[in-house]
Amino acid sequence: MLPVLLIVAFSAVIPLMTVVNYSVQDILDLNTRFFVGLQWYEETLADPRFIDAFARQVGFSATVLAIEVPLGIAVAKGISKTSRLTPLILIVLAIPLLIPWNVVGTIWQMFARPDIGLLGVAVNASGIAYNYTAEPLHAWLTLVAMDVWHWTSLVALLAFAGLTAIPNAFYQAAELDGASKWQVFRFVELPRLRGVLIIAVLLRLMDSFMIYTEPFVLTGGGPGNATTFLSQYLATMAVGQFDLGPAAAFSVIYFLFILLFCWLFYASINRDKAPR
Amino acid sequence: MAAITLDHLCFRYPGAAQDTLSDLRLTVADGEAHALLGASGAGKTTLLNLLSGLLQPTSGRVLFDEVDVSSQPGRARSVAQVFQFPVLYESLSVEDNLAFPLRVRKASRVLIEQRVSIICEELELNHLRQTKSAMLSLFEKQLVALGKALVRPEVALVLLDEPLTAVEPKIKWRLRQSLRRVQADLGVTMIYVTHDQTEALTFADRVSVLTTQGLLQTGTPETIYNAPAHEYVGHFVGSPGMNFLPASVLHLAGAERVGFRSEWAELDPHSALRGTVAGQRLQGTRDGVPYGWLTVNTVHGEVVVRGKLPADVLVGQDVGIRVRRYVAFEEGKKVAEGEFV
Repeated sequence: MLPVLLIVAFSAVIPLMTVVNYSVQDILDLNTRFFVGLQWYEETLADPRFIDAFARQVGFSATVLAIEVPLGIAVAKGISKTSRLTPLILIVLAIPLLIPWNVVGTIWQMFARPDIGLLGVAVNASGIAYNYTAEPLHAWLTLVAMDVWHWTSLVALLAFAGLTAIPNAFYQAAELDGASKWQVFRFVELPRLRGVLIIAVLLRLMDSFMIYTEPFVLTGGGPGNATTFLSQYLATMAVGQFDLGPAAAFSVIYFLFILLFCWLFYASINRDKAPR
Repeated sequence: MAAITLDHLCFRYPGAAQDTLSDLRLTVADGEAHALLGASGAGKTTLLNLLSGLLQPTSGRVLFDEVDVSSQPGRARSVAQVFQFPVLYESLSVEDNLAFPLRVRKASRVLIEQRVSIICEELELNHLRQTKSAMLSLFEKQLVALGKALVRPEVALVLLDEPLTAVEPKIKWRLRQSLRRVQADLGVTMIYVTHDQTEALTFADRVSVLTTQGLLQTGTPETIYNAPAHEYVGHFVGSPGMNFLPASVLHLAGAERVGFRSEWAELDPHSALRGTVAGQRLQGTRDGVPYGWLTVNTVHGEVVVRGKLPADVLVGQDVGIRVRRYVAFEEGKKVAEGEFV
């Protein structure tokens, strides 16, 4: 027990406590600090830039979840359970997950460039004036596309694992009952995918809410602040401007929101699972 | 409901060297409870899949009431199946599970309500109608799975694939009772696949014994037990299985081997057939006399005698065995049966 406690203390509890400690102080330098109570919290929550970044963040997470989860399930459904090519397909699917995040950003940064990138040039050639460095909407779409490319595989692989775990008898019974393909999906597969989908949604919710590296590399938060998410705003405050107090308060709020979302999601999923 | 006919049915898995099932011929009457008994690897599951439409015969036909359904898919066949473990729509309530096969087929609301009520009444599920099926015990789940198989009024055949496997022994007989009662009440044609001979003999009107050689015998449980058409059937059915001795030992002409049930034999000090008692197992008392099995080693092999046990018989003692009834076999097949006077 003791070693575990020590590891957890040093890796999680002590840093977190330090942040909490910073968040209630105004720190001018290491020897000049004043206790300010909840002032930084009040200021952060009222800061329009924070509110904007928060709204963008929620919008981004909701968008990628709404695309990646159904798309991942569809991809998983499309993979044959018995084909000899299946292992190969699974490996190909796993490739985006193995690429370092800053490399993903770099790949898309080049891929989407309107002058030399394959995607950028192709879209422009089709008659749409596409430039993700200048148009906020284009920057958004590019970011969403990149995240979908990067993470749909995760949902697909989890869903595929869930699908292969369904015994054949369930399909046979549904066939004899005369169930349509949709009904098989809705009443046989979806209930049995529930466990893996909860994991998939939780992982994607947390990760997308904390996204930093890819937009930092791809758009740098721009054009303007169009793609500045919470983590990037926070980094600017803490590392760029050395506003340690406000940044600490921001961190605590950020952390609590992620915790809250995950808890809300988990509680709503388990609500109807109460024991008889 | 329908009568089921297997007409020279053959099946070979693609790429296999030989038929899994060859030239099966069998007729199951309308409303019959039929048990298909066989050891694992005999092709029971293959036959089941041919009946449910999951597989299609290599040659031969499957007839439901004279209609050839061999090439129809499962959903077109009016077949329902109960599996080894309960297969339900786990997110739905008991009621919705039962209604599912009817709803899918766009049955009227009145009919659905009527059928679901009948099934709930018959299987004593009324108190669970609103319960989500994931919350049920294994026994209740299997009952609902059975109900779901019976709910369509037009269903021609209900297949049961070792439905008691997953259920604990204590509950087994209860489920079997329910099954038997429902079968009798609703007059459903049922084919019950099992490797458990007790289940087969207690459930069915008629039993078919399936081996890799094909169907060895079809008959009532009494016939299968008392007059096995094949040595294998005598050996496989019954607990313990039939005793076999060379026919000459009992002075029978025109046969190779003779078989007799343990309860057809008794101890007789004057008999010429002798052996040494190797073990005994007491099962209880009858008329105040101990009752059970005796295992006797004779020079021709082991013989089990079942009945009243004389109090003075000890392991290692020399005893004589008298056989009252026998079935005679030649090359594995039954050639005669009779009684010794």
